[in-house]
Amino acid sequence: MSEPAILVAHLHKRYGDVVAVDDVTLTVEPGEVVAIVGANGAGKTSTVEMVAGLRTPDRGRVAVLGLDPRRDRAALRQVLGVQLQEPYLHHSLTVAELVDLYRSFYRAPRPAAELLDVVELGEQRGTRFERLSGGQQQRLSIALALVGRPKVVILDELTTGLDPRARRRVWAAIDALREETVLLVSHAMDEVERLCDRVAVLDHGRIVALGPPAELIAKAGASSLEETFMALTGTEPEEA
Amino acid sequence: MSTPMAAWLTLTKCEARMVVRDTAGLVVPIALPMLVLVMNASAAAGQEVPGGRSALDMHVLPLVFAIVLASIGVINMPSFLAYYRRAGILRRLAVTPVSPLLVLVAQLLVSLAQALIGIGLAFAVAVLGFGARPPAAAGAAVLAMTLSILALYAVGMVVASLAPTPNSAVAIGLIAFFVLGAVGGMFGGVDALPDVVAEVGSWLPFGATVDALSHAWAGAPVPADTIAALVAVTAAGVTVATVWFRWN
Repeated sequence: MSEPAILVAHLHKRYGDVVAVDDVTLTVEPGEVVAIVGANGAGKTSTVEMVAGLRTPDRGRVAVLGLDPRRDRAALRQVLGVQLQEPYLHHSLTVAELVDLYRSFYRAPRPAAELLDVVELGEQRGTRFERLSGGQQQRLSIALALVGRPKVVILDELTTGLDPRARRRVWAAIDALREETVLLVSHAMDEVERLCDRVAVLDHGRIVALGPPAELIAKAGASSLEETFMALTGTEPEEA
Repeated sequence: MSTPMAAWLTLTKCEARMVVRDTAGLVVPIALPMLVLVMNASAAAGQEVPGGRSALDMHVLPLVFAIVLASIGVINMPSFLAYYRRAGILRRLAVTPVSPLLVLVAQLLVSLAQALIGIGLAFAVAVLGFGARPPAAAGAAVLAMTLSILALYAVGMVVASLAPTPNSAVAIGLIAFFVLGAVGGMFGGVDALPDVVAEVGSWLPFGATVDALSHAWAGAPVPADTIAALVAVTAAGVTVATVWFRWN
């Protein structure tokens, strides 16, 4: 049996008195696209940040392609692409300069033109990051997550705040990923249904459901993933 | 294929672009010292001090150079680093193969280049416009400049470590700059200060920088206590920054 691309076993994280992640166990197989959904404060971002090595778990184990995110930091960073919740980039650099900068970090980066083509930002090459629209900033952030030809991609809040057209463009970019394993955090149930092989529903730090969207919908006797989410968590997706 | 060196060079180039595009940030380290120079150079150039050099060489130039180094090291560099932390740029870099430490090194290098440009411009204006002369002891000048840069940048790293936001970094940096400058002779020379304040000021990095450069211009070796003061500030600053600097 092959090793999972992402292994999360009995993960715990607490901030003071608040339990953010409570015994989360999840595996993502190579090539799979898996979403983590949940209300605000459900523990989604804490979970993916521990997978990315940005936070240290209190307990439990994380492995990405067999690598420990903290111990094997250098090796992992070459095979992991991360898009953080907010697009944190040098504000006065242009799109082309940022792509060149991030390309310089990796051994075998994707060509700049190919990357900008995937996220349809070729015409904005000379535009400074601070002058891009929110959707363009988000797409550039996704491009930079893909720049090093990662085997595993973490995308946190993929299309939050984007207009419908921008969302479709981002979806197309994700559809274009054929070989990568993707761990996606999203509030948008339509997006999750469209893009993901499986979905993990997180509620108060615990996984309350895990499986293919159609299977979860059928189990809940619901007509959509949105209804399923509401039934499982008692939360409106809009609140999330 | 990328190498750590290529990544570092690209990062340094990007840092330089960021600094150049932040035109407001260039005003203080370039324009303020130039203003101090031009306002004082005419009178100081014709005023001879013991040792046969002009007051321009012995007093004004060291002061102007100290202003350049302090404004970049204590105000500009920490505000950039605080902005990077606040904006999450260091956090974003933490999920790439490069260490956020490279940003620090790149920023230090770019700040150093800024300082050298500021000093070079001021010196060129002083020489071409007012007849200033180069230091009589070039080796001592290089030593004085190196130790001064290290000490003032170490103060800047302390500011970057303690400031929670970019605005507070600018505020703390400005306070540190003016306090160090005031007790180091920036506003009218140390002779006008009470003895105790002047003594303390001479041990702090701005005053020690002026003193070290002044000796170098006079052709004298940099006094051991001035070297000790600059080295001690550097060591203390690096220690504090190592303990307190936060990447996010």
